[in-house]
Order: sequence, then structure tokens, then C-alpha cells
Amino acid sequence: MSKVWKFVTKDPEFASLIVTTLLVTGVLYVLLGDRVFSPLGVSSMAIQLAEFGFLALGMGLAMLTGGIDLSVAAAAGLAGLMGALVMSGSVIPVTETNQTFIMVLGVVATLGTGVATGAINGFLIAKVSVPPILATLGTMILFTGLGMAITGGNTISIVVPEFSALFAGTMISVFPLMFLVLIAMFIGVAFFLSRTMAGRRVYLFGENEIALRFSGVRSERTIMMTYLLIGLLIGFAALLIIARANSMRIGYGQGYLLQAILVVVLAGFNPFGGKGRVSSIFVGLILLQLLGTSITAFGLTPYHRNLMYGLILLIVMGLNFFVNRPSRRKKPPAIGGIAPSTEAIILSDQRTTS
Amino acid sequence: MLKKSPFRMLFNRAMNPMERLLSIVIVLYIAFVSIRNPLFFGPQALFDIMSTGAGLMILALGALIVLISGGIDVSFAAIAVVASYTAARLSMVLEIDNLFFILAVAIAVGAALGSINAVLVHVYRLPTLIVTLATASVFHGLMAITLGMKTFTQTDVPQSMIDFGRWYIWTIENEDGSRITLSGFVVITLGVMALTWFLLYRTRIGRSVFAVGSNEESASRIGINIFATRLFIYSYVGMLSALMGVMYWSRLYYINPDILYGFIELSIIAAVVIGGAKLTGGEGTILGALLGLIVYQLFTNTLVYLGLSPSWSQLFFGSVLIGMLMVIYYRQRQANKKALVFSTV
Repeated sequence: MSKVWKFVTKDPEFASLIVTTLLVTGVLYVLLGDRVFSPLGVSSMAIQLAEFGFLALGMGLAMLTGGIDLSVAAAAGLAGLMGALVMSGSVIPVTETNQTFIMVLGVVATLGTGVATGAINGFLIAKVSVPPILATLGTMILFTGLGMAITGGNTISIVVPEFSALFAGTMISVFPLMFLVLIAMFIGVAFFLSRTMAGRRVYLFGENEIALRFSGVRSERTIMMTYLLIGLLIGFAALLIIARANSMRIGYGQGYLLQAILVVVLAGFNPFGGKGRVSSIFVGLILLQLLGTSITAFGLTPYHRNLMYGLILLIVMGLNFFVNRPSRRKKPPAIGGIAPSTEAIILSDQRTTS
Repeated sequence: MLKKSPFRMLFNRAMNPMERLLSIVIVLYIAFVSIRNPLFFGPQALFDIMSTGAGLMILALGALIVLISGGIDVSFAAIAVVASYTAARLSMVLEIDNLFFILAVAIAVGAALGSINAVLVHVYRLPTLIVTLATASVFHGLMAITLGMKTFTQTDVPQSMIDFGRWYIWTIENEDGSRITLSGFVVITLGVMALTWFLLYRTRIGRSVFAVGSNEESASRIGINIFATRLFIYSYVGMLSALMGVMYWSRLYYINPDILYGFIELSIIAAVVIGGAKLTGGEGTILGALLGLIVYQLFTNTLVYLGLSPSWSQLFFGSVLIGMLMVIYYRQRQANKKALVFSTV
């Protein structure tokens, strides 16, 4: 019991997130039962969760550095479009024999475009010092514009049938392949962030960029690498998006921005950077997916859904604010060699204004 | 002795480099389009751009004020829809077909919603983008479930709004009888621009917006009431959005609460950012916002004169935006390096 209590006091946000998720699961199980929790329901939720999970993980990484990535959905759209274009047969004619080759090429094009979008964001933020919000706002418009210019707003259909079957149809017990890829990515990113030097630097950058730079770390490389990683995650999301629809059209997934931010804030990430754990994002994803599915099951409209998401975001931000306040008071900002953390600076703001 | 340039005489300051660069881009683009297609250089294109741009400029002014204060507000389009839809519905239910009633209700609702934003931004001390993203969906969602999402066509829309939309200050009759009109909204927009300029540069509260934007801590230490300033900023933005909402439906002759929100807010912010407003706060000019909006309007409305489909507009706009961002922030980066400033926030 003491172990549980220690866990709860160490990270109250994560603990309350888990409790909330379990409660919501329980309530929904009682209310909806087999309609949602059948093997079919679970696997359909898993594939929806996977598609969105990659984007949310990318958003989380951006937020760890104190930034934000507004371009996730647009970048995924462009990456998916490139893949779909390769596999549409309009660039290289698809014959009986070269299908596997085209499919591999399509996957490479999708992932490659994803990484390229990350590289553009990383370049703007690290090398030109554009604030992440504005850089990704610009690339969001640019990526959408590029996709619109290439397609003229038309839908690009994929003519390689194996692609969709492989990425959206493959099931390992009740879980779709891409869901397992998502879990692997989560484990990989969690390992990277907590066990490698480069990963710890991501947190340090979010905590105090200047201190990181003065410790002799090339902080620009840290940012570049973070956004490349986000680009790769976007590439995976794009693969799943085009595999599910078997086609691509620009403008897809505009509503994901609110959701991605919601999950990451729900997971206890500090939008000013330096704080947050990847496993919480996963729990947050499950919670949000359950809520989203139940909204559909109860027959409510997308307006209800958005209202609920917005309210949850406001409530969670309020709770985080009040939960974090006393603990900040206990720990005064460090004096001496260590610069005060972002939180300490915010705290000092509050003291002076209130 | 240097002679005063006309610009200096009008604005009493030198043109800043971003405004100059942007003006060159606009002039070059207009010259290019006019050479390719002489039709462009007539009143038709000009009046169209000005009439549709009038409402957007009002939104851009709101976005500018928030950017000057160091934040980003993405809820203004939602406020525009909610405030004007509420006002129009109220006018239909009460059968008060009076433009001033509709405007008053809309502006009151806009101010109230804006103040909610201000309170939340002030209390949570979180990035304004996240707070306003949440409030936008809450405002719009609450409206959707309480008032519904019914679309009203010309027969249902209050007559005063339609008359408002048909207010023209300049009508040119063509020989074939067709008419080219300049909407009276341009006058309203000019008025709002003048008012905003006055508030920002000639009043205490306006100066404190700049102070809060450049350094909140210092602003608070010299005795500026941060909360009052935020309340002013966000409620003013709410009022501007509400005004734009009423103007928007009036010009369209129908009311559809499903458009506007979720489509234009980021483009408007981008237009203001092109105009040189910095997220780091404290910087930004009304002229810059106007030039940025002109670029946006040119790319969204005039590509047809070049024989290009409108689907190219975002690509051009995005490219100009990225280009301007790179120029603005690369200069700052070099300056920071020279001055040994290491913080990029």
C-alpha cells in the first residue's frame, strides 16, 4: 500500500489520470457494454487510436522542448499525399509484377516526406530562431498549400491493394499491426527520452535553454533531432491514414490539432517545456478514444464532442494549476549556480502580480 | 537637409524594414499581374478585394492587439460566429428588426466572451493559444447545443442586416448595365483602424498593452494592472470579432454558423505575422497588419487573373509567410548574437 501511495504522491497527475481512465472505462462498460468492448470494437478503437497516437506523441515531443507543433496534421496530410501519389499509378504505372516495389516506394515516400517536414520545422526553429508557434503556423499553411497545388484539391486513390491490407488489415490477435507499431514507438521514444543523453537534453532544453547551451551542449542539434523525430512519427501517422482510407485528400484531420493538444495537456505536460512523460500520453489517448467512441455510441454530434474536449482541456488546465501551486511553494527557486526553472519564474510572476 | 517623405508626414515615423519589404512584394506582384492581365487593373478587382477585405481587416486588428501583448488568440472566429448568430436569432425571435439592436447585442456578447478569455488567460498563466483553442470550441459547442446550427437564407435574415450588406458608398455603372460597387464596410473598417490606432498609441491602456507584451514582469513593477490590460485586450478583440460577424452575414445575405470558425483564424494571424508583429510581443504596427492582409487578399482573390486555380493561393501565401519569418527572425538572431543575448524566448 505504501508503494502505491508513494507512486501517487510522486506523480499525482499521472495517478489521477489513470484513476480517471479506469473510472471512465468502468462507467462506459456498464452503460454501453458489448457495443464498445467487443473484440471488434476494441480493434476498431485501437486503429483509430494508433492513427492519432503518432500525432499526439509528436505534439508531446514538441511541448517537451517548450514549443508546439501546429503543423502535425498538415504535415501528415502532405506525407500521406506523397505516398498516395506514388501508389496511385500516375507517377509510375502499376503492373502485375512491380506492385511490391511500388508499395515499398510509397512507404519510403511517405516516411521520407514526414521526415522532410520535420527537417523544415527543425531548420526554421533551430537555425533561424523562429518561435515554434510561428514556424509551424507557417509550415502548416505551406504544407497544405503544397498539397493543394499538387492535387488541386482532388482525392488521390491508391491502386495497390496490398498496401491497405498490410497496414490497415493485418491483425495480431485483436490488435492491428499499426497499433503495435505505435506501442513500439512509444516504448522507443520513452527509452530515448529517459535513458539516452540526447533524450535528457530534450527535457533540459525545455527546462532552461540557456543553461543547456552554457553547459557546452549544441542545443540547436537537440531541437533539430527532436523535430526530425516528430517528422518520422508524422510519417507513420500518414501511412496509417492513407492505408485506412486507401486514398488521400488534403484537408484531412484538421480537427486533430485541438485533440493533440488536449491529450498532451491531459497527460500533465507543461506547455512551457521540460516536464511530461510519454506513458501518460498513452493513458490520455486511451481515455480520449473511449470518450470519442462513446460520443458516437450515444449518438451525439461533433459539436458535443468539441464542446466536451474544450471543457476537459479547461478543467484539466485548472486542476493542474491548483494541484501544482502548493508544491511550488514548498520548493523555493534554487539560488546560486542553478538558474530558476520556468516554473519558478512563473511563480515569481504570480507573487508580484497577486 | 532631407526632405520629409510622404510616409513620414502621414505617420510621423519612418517605415520599418518589414513594411518596406512587404510594400515592395505587393507592388511587384500587382505589377506582374497587371502586365499579364490588364483586366486586373480596373475598379472591379480593387473594389472586390476592399469589400471582402474590410471585415477581415477588423479581425486582423484584433489579432494584432493580442500579438502585441505577447499572446495568440485563436478564438476570435468562434466569437464572431457565436456573437452574431446569437444577436441575429434574438432579433428574429423578438422581431426587433433594427441594425443597432443586432450590433449592440452582438458586441455585448463578444465583449463577454472576450472577458472570459481574459480571465482564463490571466488565471491559468498558460500559453494563450491553448486557452483560446479550448474556449473557442466551448463557445461554439455551447452555441450549437443551445441555439442549434440552423442555417438562415435571405428570406429569414433580418431585413436591416440585408440593407446593411447592400450599403454601397461608390457605384459605377458599366455600359452593359452591370454595376461595380464598393461596400460601405470600408468606411467602418477605416473607422475601426483609426479607433484602434488611437487606443494603442494615445491612451494609457494602449501603451500598457505594449508594456505587457515586451515584458510582463517589468510592466507589473511599474504599476500597470496586468489583469485590467488583459481584460481590455480580450474584450476589445471580442467586440471587434462580433462586429465582423454581423458584417460578414450581412454581406452574404445568409447565416450559416458552420462556416468562418475553424477556417480563417490561422490565416488572419498569419497575415498579421507577415506584417511584422512579433510573438515576443511589444512589436507590431497597424500598417504592417494591413499590408499583411493585402498580401493574403491578393493571393486568395487574384490568382484567377494569372490563369491559376485558387488552390495555389495557400502555397504562395505560405511561401511569403515563411520567407518573411526567416527575414524577421534571422535579423533578430544576428542582432542577438552581437548583443550577446542568448534567450530566444
